[in-house]
Amino acid sequence: MIKCPSCGKRHPENTLFCDECGAYLLAEGRKRTDPLAAEEVDWMETEMGTTGLLDNPDAEPLTVRLSIPDSGRQVEFTLTKEVSLGRLDPATATFPDIDLTTDGALEKGVSRRHAKITRKGAELFLEDLGSVNGTLLNGKRLTPYLPHVLSDKDEIRVGRLLMRIHLV
Amino acid sequence: MDYRKDYYAVLGIEPSADPEEIKAAYRAMARRYHPDANPSPEASTRFQEAQEAYDVLSEPGQRRAYDRLREREGLKQPPALVIKPVPSHQALPVMDEEQLLYVMVEISPSPTLQAKRLAFNLGLVVDRSTSMQGIRLQRVKDATNYIIDFLDQSDVFSLVTFNDRAEVVIPAQPQLDKTLAKSRVSTVRSSGGTEILQGLLAGLGEVDRWRSPAMVNHLILLTDGQTYGGEKECLQEAENAAQRQVSITTMGIGQDWNDKLLDEIARRSGGRSTYIDSAAKVTSVFRECVHSLATVAARGLRLAVRPADAIRLQGAFQVAPYLQSLPTREDSMPLGMINAEQVCAVVLEFLVAPQLTGRVSVASLELSADIPSVGQQSVMLRQGVEIELVPGLEAVDPVPPSIVNALGKLAIFRMQEKTMDDLDRGEIEHASQRLETMATRLLNVGENELAKAALLEAGRLARTGHLSPEGRKRIRYGTRSLSMLPKEISHD
Repeated sequence: MIKCPSCGKRHPENTLFCDECGAYLLAEGRKRTDPLAAEEVDWMETEMGTTGLLDNPDAEPLTVRLSIPDSGRQVEFTLTKEVSLGRLDPATATFPDIDLTTDGALEKGVSRRHAKITRKGAELFLEDLGSVNGTLLNGKRLTPYLPHVLSDKDEIRVGRLLMRIHLV
Repeated sequence: MDYRKDYYAVLGIEPSADPEEIKAAYRAMARRYHPDANPSPEASTRFQEAQEAYDVLSEPGQRRAYDRLREREGLKQPPALVIKPVPSHQALPVMDEEQLLYVMVEISPSPTLQAKRLAFNLGLVVDRSTSMQGIRLQRVKDATNYIIDFLDQSDVFSLVTFNDRAEVVIPAQPQLDKTLAKSRVSTVRSSGGTEILQGLLAGLGEVDRWRSPAMVNHLILLTDGQTYGGEKECLQEAENAAQRQVSITTMGIGQDWNDKLLDEIARRSGGRSTYIDSAAKVTSVFRECVHSLATVAARGLRLAVRPADAIRLQGAFQVAPYLQSLPTREDSMPLGMINAEQVCAVVLEFLVAPQLTGRVSVASLELSADIPSVGQQSVMLRQGVEIELVPGLEAVDPVPPSIVNALGKLAIFRMQEKTMDDLDRGEIEHASQRLETMATRLLNVGENELAKAALLEAGRLARTGHLSPEGRKRIRYGTRSLSMLPKEISHD
């Protein structure tokens, strides 16, 4: 039996897609992102309405730094529209802007396309991209595909990988 | 002995088959189609054909004579259709529980099959109720004139209009006087209600007058409204039409027509249904329809799937040229028609019983079709699917991308179907959430427009408790056409 990580429906072995919610259930071989053991987390209250589809190409560049305590890595980048976070996988042509492979992404349950940080005007947003293990913002689980406002020093957890955001 | 008939195709065997194979094929047919086993009229025809084929092919002298005659007349041709089943896995581990195996079956006309434009026996049935008034009816008239111009001397054409009653505007006839026909088209005026059954009956009556196996016998039904009664009878008529080899294309224009009824009429007759969202598109939809009829390679396609012991057929879906669910309980699944350069693809979901080991047969597939261009009625192809079940197998080969791709789109299509089911049951909240999830899946496959429509309707549903008629149709027909726009799936 396979349990759909997204809606919990059970399927026979080798099922590829959940017929209830359309989720892709099987990534090939050992490269697949395994669901981590469940943790008690609150779901974050969200409002309807998406802003993630819109972007503002005229915005001035904004410098953002991500620090990853587990690996001691610091990533600094300028944000005009959006950056994606995930795990590089040439086999499926997944090339995230910020590749977390070297930070132990696979073991920590980071999906290939896990989350993205978008910008609208001066505000920053974090959006989970329907990842297997979800994204937590300051300990609260994000509803997939809904952008949430990001502030300086916020704690982001993709799968089990912890990072902190700094606006420079 | 009739050398024009392809006895090998009737039995579903190669012309090189040995006597044992001929006998086995005949026995298999007899078991299924003998009047004692199967009372349907179709089965009895099949049985007679098989009997005739077997009588000739089992007698070496007759078989030689038959082969010679066919060779001399240039009828010795390779099979007109190619059937290619691809399982998701060639080998699977032996398991203690049931496991799923997908088989994608691609059906295409053989490259050697000569495309030949068959004469049309085409009936057009047009709704002329009050709501068709103005630009809508005008565009339909323009489109009808387009068809009239497209016709050859040997084509038979008829035009029926209907509101509460039906009226034959142009009776079925070959060698149409095009000027006269167009002037008759211009006299059509809109008024009254919509009774599809009336139009359907009159239209089929016209098509029946010239019906011939050597023609494309087809009806186009266009409406813009809900019908008043007679839905059951419409479906029965569609089924009867399929028996007589008449297929029906249904077209709904605007927002107010009954999509379920039109889809079902088309499906049962072996045709397809189309959504015309604006009057401006009528001509292009008509054009596409007649051009695809002009290049029909095979029609009346039916696929029968017989799972082996310990294997169950869980689901069946057509994934090309468009998406639809197929009935698994009926004797065989109707797949409509295919054009010269088209591929028809079906995905089958099989459940493999636990503890099965070794080389196992999964199912036997039987494809029957009518190939009008070579004068072959009910051609038959038979193909088996086998896989290996290996104890302790660790590395399972990746699923072929074509299957993953098709399944990804199918998953979205099935969510759409479930959303509509939710709505039918009044589970508004469920339907709204499902639509939202569907929107994200659509974004993943790059269908941004459709995703936006789904998101919009999800919001509307949550606020007002129902979908807009336009949004409903856009989502229904949009998801059904997903297979026609091959795009890379980005999965997580």
